[in-house]
Formats: sequence, structure tokens, C-alpha cells
Amino acid sequence: MSNDDNKPLTGLTDKLQDLKDEFGNRIENSDFETWLKGVKEEVGDGIEMMARRARGVFNPNLVTMQLKDIQSIVLRERPTPYFGTVVALKINNADVGKQMLSQVLPDVTGSEDWHKDMQATLSIVMTYEGLQALGVPQSSLDSFPESFKAGMAARAEQLRDFDVNAPENWMAPFGDKGDIHVGAAIIADTKDKWQAKLDELRDNLADHIDVDNPANGDVEILIEQDFGSNDNVKNVFGYRDGISNPEIQGSGIQTPSNHDGDPIAAGEFVLGYEGEAGIVAPMPQPEVLGKNGSFMVLRAYHSHVATFNKYRKDNTDSEEEAELLGAKMWGRWRSGAPLVLSPDHDDKALGDDPSRNNDFGYKDDPYGKKCPFGAHIRRMNPRDSEDFILSDVRIHRIVRRSVGFGEVVPPDVIEDDGKDRGLFFIGINAHAMETVEFLQSQWINDGNFMSLGEEKDPMVGLHSGDKDSDADNFTVPADPIRKRYHGIETFNTLHGGEYFFIPSLSALKWISELS
Amino acid sequence: MSKNNNKERIIDNSEDLKDKITESMDAFKLRADLLVANLKEGGNDGYDHSTSSAGEKGLKSGKVSELTVIAPLKDGGAARLKEILKIAGGNLKGATRVGTLHDLRFVFLDNDTRVLFCTAYDGDWDPYIDDFATKIPELMDILFGNVEGWPGIKDPSVKQFILDHQITAAGWYVGVPHLTVQDIRRHERIVKGINKALDEAQTN
Repeated sequence: MSNDDNKPLTGLTDKLQDLKDEFGNRIENSDFETWLKGVKEEVGDGIEMMARRARGVFNPNLVTMQLKDIQSIVLRERPTPYFGTVVALKINNADVGKQMLSQVLPDVTGSEDWHKDMQATLSIVMTYEGLQALGVPQSSLDSFPESFKAGMAARAEQLRDFDVNAPENWMAPFGDKGDIHVGAAIIADTKDKWQAKLDELRDNLADHIDVDNPANGDVEILIEQDFGSNDNVKNVFGYRDGISNPEIQGSGIQTPSNHDGDPIAAGEFVLGYEGEAGIVAPMPQPEVLGKNGSFMVLRAYHSHVATFNKYRKDNTDSEEEAELLGAKMWGRWRSGAPLVLSPDHDDKALGDDPSRNNDFGYKDDPYGKKCPFGAHIRRMNPRDSEDFILSDVRIHRIVRRSVGFGEVVPPDVIEDDGKDRGLFFIGINAHAMETVEFLQSQWINDGNFMSLGEEKDPMVGLHSGDKDSDADNFTVPADPIRKRYHGIETFNTLHGGEYFFIPSLSALKWISELS
Repeated sequence: MSKNNNKERIIDNSEDLKDKITESMDAFKLRADLLVANLKEGGNDGYDHSTSSAGEKGLKSGKVSELTVIAPLKDGGAARLKEILKIAGGNLKGATRVGTLHDLRFVFLDNDTRVLFCTAYDGDWDPYIDDFATKIPELMDILFGNVEGWPGIKDPSVKQFILDHQITAAGWYVGVPHLTVQDIRRHERIVKGINKALDEAQTN
């Protein structure tokens, strides 16, 4: 970026910051549109860049959660652009592990000051084996949910992780192919901040690592992977992603309109608060360990973009039709413009505008002629679609913090270049294991809930490319008659995953002080 | 190990073996009888009717599972539940809304002290228990609140409570194991549409 470009952007950022700082005290119970309108009036043309940064507004008057104690990854969006590293660790010496935890504790970030620009953050998550390795007492270990104790690999049946997605085909160090105990993630908005934070972490780790013989170290680094993007809006398929996240009651964060209705109860996302049913669900004990914590599901996918592009090409008669088929599978065009609002062609201005690109429901599309029932985004968040099977959309929402890796592939490339690319799906919820197992078994790898028979999610379902199998169909309602595509392939294969606990800041302290 | 012990073990084993042979002879005869009956009297619709486990408890045939529960009733519970079922007269609107229920029934046992609840439903019941708690809590508690110890549909222990009283059926047969309630409803709409189009083609 040249200096000329840089200068107005910095100016705009400052302006945005001032406005956001002021906002909470100035306006009570206002919404995103009101705020955005104000910003538009004050800053004029630079709005697109501003709008991209603005994923919501913060109103301190609405805060009822203990933001300070909740790790930032639960409630805060990552910055744009972003630079980061994730490190997976195995703890071979509990005392050293705890000592290390207390060293990094001051760097772990909470969720307060949401409206301030995010600095470099450090997040710490743990598997059941990790809690065990750090010496968490058995009575506390026993109080965790069964699915978390078992771990993702052992839940393959519930997750429908069969065939190519089965744990025996995963890559190390996932599942039984390693012992991931602790995950540490650094995310920052500039390269410098990221490097500085990473150096701090490395310094903290250095003393405990055996470089020549890693397995002999008190702490072992299993993987270290960088991620990040200058333009985080596109996934490797070339589609804008990560648009919709739920608004959480009591967080003070107001998201652009997403047709969720009222904000969703805090207890669905953070332990120790009332959920949608009006009760506080059981949480890990003692309370200092459970309260303000949450769970994270990590699923690492390899994306087969060339296969996806080839499928679209082979099953349509024109480039235009192939683009439409892709949009029908996702439910959005490449720009992020939703099919419901722009059924026939892409609309970049709509896709870029956070106040409009998620402002839709399915009431006006009861037959799926704009957005098919089987489209990825309609399956994952049916919003106000008629429910064929009684289900409460509000209790199956998940906070998404996914990060991509590898290069975006252009639409016309139909030959695999052999390079690794894909997505680390990161879903956060107070009962994330249950939620993801529900999504995988009911909404992704089945079609009955949308009265689609055995059809599966075309983008993330497990397919076999079998032209004679109903499960590999994709039905697109249309006039005068529906169109049905056969032999859908697995466009995203799973190469590993884990269930993690996201301790609160006080829980991390509690663990580090265990004797 | 002493010689004596060895001898005893051999004797034990031979008794065991004899039992096993007798048992398998009986099983063999039953198997033969069923085979003959199937050949003489059975039919084949081309669908796979074989059963498998529907999770921790219960049986599944194709897409359709069974849930069988026997539970004690509170004092006066039977009378209240009978009254509710009489008023409904079969029109359990919440059950219609669930969208996966093929049928359900209540039967009172042991002088109205216990209730037998049986249902045939599509897929799995436990993923949806939380949805019942937020979407049809009143209906659930009206029907099952008469059961001794019912924790309430919103209580996190409700899944375990149901499992504790569930008995896996010994046998389970489904006429159309490959069709869910949604499939049947959808197929009916398609057939109606086709017939309408055919009728129109005929008149034109």
C-alpha cells in the first residue's frame, strides 16, 4: 500500500474509532443502521472500507456478561486484515505446563473494550487430555460433558465422519495421531504486532522445549501454522464467507440485521448464563473453572476447488449457468450477495454492504425458487423458513471464527494444482460439541429436516459422486419445473479436528495455581 | 495349576459344550421353522426391513425407529392423562408439528399405576430434545408431568430420565422403512400434482 493510499485510510480509522468510542455513551438502544447512517454522513465516500470493518456496534448499557473474564475469541471478531499463528502443544510435565500458563496469562485477552480496535490477541484452549496433563483434579474432569471427554475422533458416528472423513484418515497430530493438549492462537491486525506477540510466546516456550528430541521436552510443539489474509472476505472457492454471526444478549454487541429476532440468550454461547430455555445448564466444576468459559470445535478441511469448478462446468451449458449453480449451492453469489435478495445475478454493492448483505429471511421464498432449501447457508441457518421438523433455529447457532489457508482458485480452473488450501472451521458455543454433532447429523448429512429426502449439504456434506444415489443429489426448485443435479462430490474433506474447552481468564489462573 | 483343577475345568467345559450344542440345536430348529414359514407364506417388497440399534436404546428399521417406555405414574396421574387424551381425541397438534412422528400411543398398566408409551419416529430423538424444551415445553409437560419423577422437559437430566425408563423392543417391523413422515407428505403432494396435470391433459 502506498503512502497516498495509507493516509486517508488512517484518517478514516481514527474517525471510526472516535465515533465508536462515543457511540455507547451517546445512543442507547440504537441499531446498526442508525449508526451507519451517521457514519455515512460524516465520512462520505470511504464508506466501503469502513463498512467492511464495521461488524457491529457496542453499547455498554446493554452489557450483563462479565466481558473481562471471557476470552476475546468468544465475543470478538478478528481484525481485517489479519495475521496469525496457531500452535498446538503437548504438555509432558504438569508443573512446567502450569508455570508456562502463568507466564502467558497476562497476554491472554478478554472481551471488554470491544469497540476499540483489536490489538494482538492470544487465545488459549485445551482438550480433555490437556486438562488432565495439567493436573486438573479428577472430580473436575468428571464434570465435563461426555462428548468432550471422548474427543472428536471418538464421536465419528455422531458427526457422520465416515469414509474419507474418518479419523483413521486424518493427518497428524489430530485425533489419535497425536496428543494435542493445548492450542494457542495469536491474531493481530498488523505484521509487526503479530511478530512481537509471537516472539513473546516463543520466548516463554523456549526454555521448556527439547529442540533435538522434541518428545523429551517438558513441552512439545506438535504443529505451528501461520494463517492470515489481507482480504479476509473470500474463502478459497472465491466466495465471501463468515458474514453471519449471532447477536448475543448481554454482550453489548449489536450486529447488523440478520433476522435472528431478539438477541440469542447468553447461555447458548457462554457457560454460567441462562440459555434460551431459561435455565443455566450444568457446567464444569468448580464454578471458577466453568463460569465464563465456552467450548470450541475445530474442524480442518481441505478444499477441492478445481473439483467444484469442474462439477459446475460439466453439469451446465454456459459459464453464466455454472456461476448460478455455484451460487445455488452456497446460497450466496461470490460477492456475498444473498440469492434471496438478488436471485438472478451477482450484485457486488449488495455483497459489500454489511447493513444489507445479511438482512433477509426466507418468508418470501417459501418454495426455494430463489435460494434452494438445500443451499449451504439455508441449511446452516434456516432463519424463518417453514420448519418441516420441529426445530428451534436459535439453539443451533454457532459463533464462527474460521480462518482460511492457501490461495483462492479462479472460477475457470478445473485442474487441481496439488497445493494445500482449505479452512479451519472454528465454531464456538456453550454446548459446541452437541451443536456441531446436531448440524453434522441432521442439517448437513441428511435432508429430512427440509423435506429433501436423503440429500446432503452440497458444499460440506460427505458425498460419493454416485449418480444413482439420492444422497448425492442437489435439487434446485425453479419454474416451470425443478432442476436436479446428480453425483455431487465431496468438495471439502476433513483432515482432522478436536474438541476444545475455552477457559475463562480466572479459570486459566485457577489451573495455573493448582498444586 | 494342579492336575485336579485341570480335570475339573475339562468337566466344566464339557457340560458347557453340551449346553451349547443343545441350545444351538433348538435355535437351528427354530431357524428352520421360520425359513419354511417365510418360504410358504412370506412376501418380498424389495425393501430392507432388517433392524439395527437406534442409539443407546431402541431399534431402527431403515429410517424409522421405535421408542418404548414403561414408567410409574403419580397418584391420580392416570385419571388426568386419560382426561387429556380424551379431550384431544387423537388431535395432538404438537405431535403433528414435530414432523417425525409416525404414531404414538399410551396404554395404562397394573391398575393404572404405570403407563406404557410407544412411538415410531424418524431418525434419532435425542438431538431434538432441546428443541422440544424451547418449542413445545407445555405440551411435553402436560403429557409427561403425570409420570413419577418427570424432571420437566427443560431439565438437563431429562434425556437420562427417558433412557432409564426406555426398554428396547425385542422385535421391530416397519411397513415402509425407507420413508419418513416428510417423505410420505411430499410424495403425496407430488402424486396429487401429477394426477392434476394428467386430468387436465385429458380434458384438453
